[in-house]
Amino acid sequence: MDDSLEDSPSPPQEPSSKEKKYDRQLRMWGSTGQVALESARVLLIQAGPNAVGIETLKNLVLPGIERYTIVDPSVVTEEDTGVNFFVDGESIGQLKAKVCCQMLQELNPDVDGEYLTEPIESLLRNPSFLLGYSLILVAAPIFSPTLKTIAAYAWEHELPLFYIHSLGFYSYFTVSLPPCFPVIETHPDQSVAAELRLTNPWPELAALAKEVTAGLEEMNDHDHGHVPYVLLLLHYLELWKQDNEGRVPATYREKLEFRKLVEAGARTENAEGGEENYEEAAAAVLKSLNPATLTWSIREIFQATECVELTTDSPIFWFVAAAVKDFERKHHVLPLHGSVPDMKAKTADYIRLQKVYKAKARQDAAEVLANMRVIKGELGCTSEEIYERVVDDFCREAAFVRFFRGQRLPVACGGEDGEFELAGEAVEHEPTSGEGQALEDPESLMPLYITLLAYDVFINSRSRNAPPHSPDSGPTTLLNHAPGHASSTVHTDEQELSRIAHSILFRCTRSGGGDLHNISALTGGMVAQEAIKVITRQYVPADNTVVFDGIRSKVWVFRRTADMFSRP
Amino acid sequence: MGREAYPKQSLGSLYRRIKESRVLLVGAGGIGCELLKNLVLTGFGEIHLVDLDTIDLSNLNRQFLFRHEHIKKPKALVAKGVAGKFNPNVKLEAYHANIKDPMFNIDWFQGFSLVFNALDNLEARRHVNKMCLAADVPLIESGTTGFNGQVQVIKKGRTECYDCNPKETPKTFPVCTIRSTPSQPIHCIVWAKSYLFTEIFGTSEDDAPEFDHSEDSENSEEIEKLRQEAQALKRIRQSIGSPDFARKIFEKIFGEDILRLRSMEDMWKSRRAPEPLDFDKISQQALVIDTSVTQKDQTAWSLPENFVVFSDRYDFLERLRLGELINCSLRRLSARLQDAQAKAANGDVSPVLTFDKDDDDTLEFVAASANLRSIVFGIETKSKFDIKRELPRKELVDGMY
Ligand SMILES: [Zn+2]
Repeated sequence: MDDSLEDSPSPPQEPSSKEKKYDRQLRMWGSTGQVALESARVLLIQAGPNAVGIETLKNLVLPGIERYTIVDPSVVTEEDTGVNFFVDGESIGQLKAKVCCQMLQELNPDVDGEYLTEPIESLLRNPSFLLGYSLILVAAPIFSPTLKTIAAYAWEHELPLFYIHSLGFYSYFTVSLPPCFPVIETHPDQSVAAELRLTNPWPELAALAKEVTAGLEEMNDHDHGHVPYVLLLLHYLELWKQDNEGRVPATYREKLEFRKLVEAGARTENAEGGEENYEEAAAAVLKSLNPATLTWSIREIFQATECVELTTDSPIFWFVAAAVKDFERKHHVLPLHGSVPDMKAKTADYIRLQKVYKAKARQDAAEVLANMRVIKGELGCTSEEIYERVVDDFCREAAFVRFFRGQRLPVACGGEDGEFELAGEAVEHEPTSGEGQALEDPESLMPLYITLLAYDVFINSRSRNAPPHSPDSGPTTLLNHAPGHASSTVHTDEQELSRIAHSILFRCTRSGGGDLHNISALTGGMVAQEAIKVITRQYVPADNTVVFDGIRSKVWVFRRTADMFSRP
Repeated sequence: MGREAYPKQSLGSLYRRIKESRVLLVGAGGIGCELLKNLVLTGFGEIHLVDLDTIDLSNLNRQFLFRHEHIKKPKALVAKGVAGKFNPNVKLEAYHANIKDPMFNIDWFQGFSLVFNALDNLEARRHVNKMCLAADVPLIESGTTGFNGQVQVIKKGRTECYDCNPKETPKTFPVCTIRSTPSQPIHCIVWAKSYLFTEIFGTSEDDAPEFDHSEDSENSEEIEKLRQEAQALKRIRQSIGSPDFARKIFEKIFGEDILRLRSMEDMWKSRRAPEPLDFDKISQQALVIDTSVTQKDQTAWSLPENFVVFSDRYDFLERLRLGELINCSLRRLSARLQDAQAKAANGDVSPVLTFDKDDDDTLEFVAASANLRSIVFGIETKSKFDIKRELPRKELVDGMY
């Protein structure tokens, strides 16, 4: 690099004001994530004084979605002013959707907002209006049949749907993802070591190790103390193989023995009493010499029907997955990540090492791309689109690519007699061990979750034809019925659950069925965070239910299955 | 009931205590805006808000109380105006000030029932922690980085305090902290290694791994001045090897640049202003220092000692004539760089020196210049040995190929 003044490169472009405004979040999800966000259209369906929907929307408007629509037929009441930041005393009596829409609009002029004051039930007479959105948020309370209709439609058209309920000190939300939801950029934890392929080096890496470690014994102290540990390990592995019929250390005992071999190579008659590069090498033995096994996540992808049975219409993700699978079948490793950890080394050696890894990573990605061409050719795909970017992204973190099987949002309903019933397949089933455990585990929030569901059911069954929310909810009736509902659905000790449910419901009813602003704000933050993951297809989304207990300050995430809680 | 219906029902008689409480919120940034909204809506009776900053464009994607038209206005005052409208029952008091200002003394802290920290720096957090312990007021401490966040409740005698657990020194620092407003030895060490050393001997590296550019856009004027400053240093670099090279460098970085910083009065309202160093005066004091001082690596060097390690002494030419070994690190490194340049074939990329803490020449240069800067800013100086321990092992060169 030349840095003389004559040739100094032109100063970097002044960032645009948009880049400045979104600077912080661009660090989290990059420009591709931002582009996805800026084309997201979010629909919020709500009614009654509850701030959680608007709080969620606020956290999506600020980072800059394309558009939002608020469906809410209600007018602002005085109760609203106590929980909803976006309405004030002057707006009492006005249409809430209109007031909130205007206030949210002011938060970010880049975002378009609109509102509909028709009740959602009448809008759903033509449900195709839902197709205009990329994500739907429903904030409780809502009529169960209405929620069922939305859930079915969203599921059928692969629209991500969030159902959110904030009640007193508690809240929960459930995410209904499309049937197949892949995430390539999962942003794995940086502390997870990148695969270095030490047990099966490719020729260029082996050659570099041989060259740099040549005459290791005779090196002067400075050079000896600066051989990069990756190359040291490769050197000692060669020695080991010579004594072990060409095998690398595989068992724990062998690895310990191998570590001793490495440690014995270090020079200790110096001021420091050892060598840092040797210490790094010894420390890496146990974690870096594992044979390449597939992570469960990539195995799941390789085994998915979509990967096994490709068609010309398959999404690009599955073509890449199949091409990576072919690569793995041939080489018994995933494409190389290509990065090298920091280590004690002379800069020149370190750069050479980096180059060798980067070159191999590029070579692997090129091979995957070639595999993909072959697969497409075999299927008779005419399109020449190859999507190198997707291939590169997939190969870089192949071990951590995920895909999620979404499911239709389960809806708790009240039957004619106030009984508890679930939409969807009412499959007979014994409680799974997971459910049983979750109920017995005092740390889980399962009892809270069940009680909140029972509350939903109760509110719905109580007033079929009236709006499902009114402040005079009879606490006694609720307390008498809900625990029974709850226990009958999970086949558990009614008394124990009753005790827990009683105290929870006492608090819920004491709050008058309403939400508290701070709990709704926190919940809205969590929902928005998950919505952003879904919209940008980055990071690992919550799968699929999140429960919050503001009394115990606990968050609990679990996967609710469609047939959970169905009556035997 | 009305507005207070839900919190009143949920909290019962406790709600009165919220209404009667007087709380302090320190910071009106990302967490502060959200927290202020929640406190106002929940109905805390009296809320005092302190923030030193003004609003910047890059705040608007999350600090939702601020709009485009508020840019450059004080955060505390705007936040009060915007949030106050949403609950007329709440009394709001805002201060555009540094929480470390002496007017916020222990008596003042004692007037609150609860303090919330929504700060972005370690130093201020520690200060509020100390004040709350002294005043025996409970503190709720909070912070976020990226997708992670934490909240800690601190109550004297009941919980641990913020400083009970030593905090890992952050590995990156805002550019302005390093270049304009250092307050700790590590700031000066990073400045010496990642700015001074690379500008004089290395490849000018705007993207040294220690530099956190996330606040650049909030300080664009200062960043632009710092860029010009670096350009000027680069011009001096061209006279490397000339007899007055050391003086030129010294007078630029410890004289001229410091005077410029000193003239920015706003910067020094709540900090000690830096004092420039005088080359001639110190080189006189340095006459008695033996160059073997570099061997003394376990104790911190004095000002003239640092000077000798860094730069030529006043009588440099005289001594050179007498055949004495010139031992200052600046000259040794200059000689190495010129040597490498002479050897490089024509048309080759011009060679540079890279920092390596195991390389005594580079280590001594960084140690001495870091300490001289510490003296300028009134910061504690460190021994060569301690500085070596603080330095990262080697430069990350990821992305070079
Ligand atoms: Zn403590």
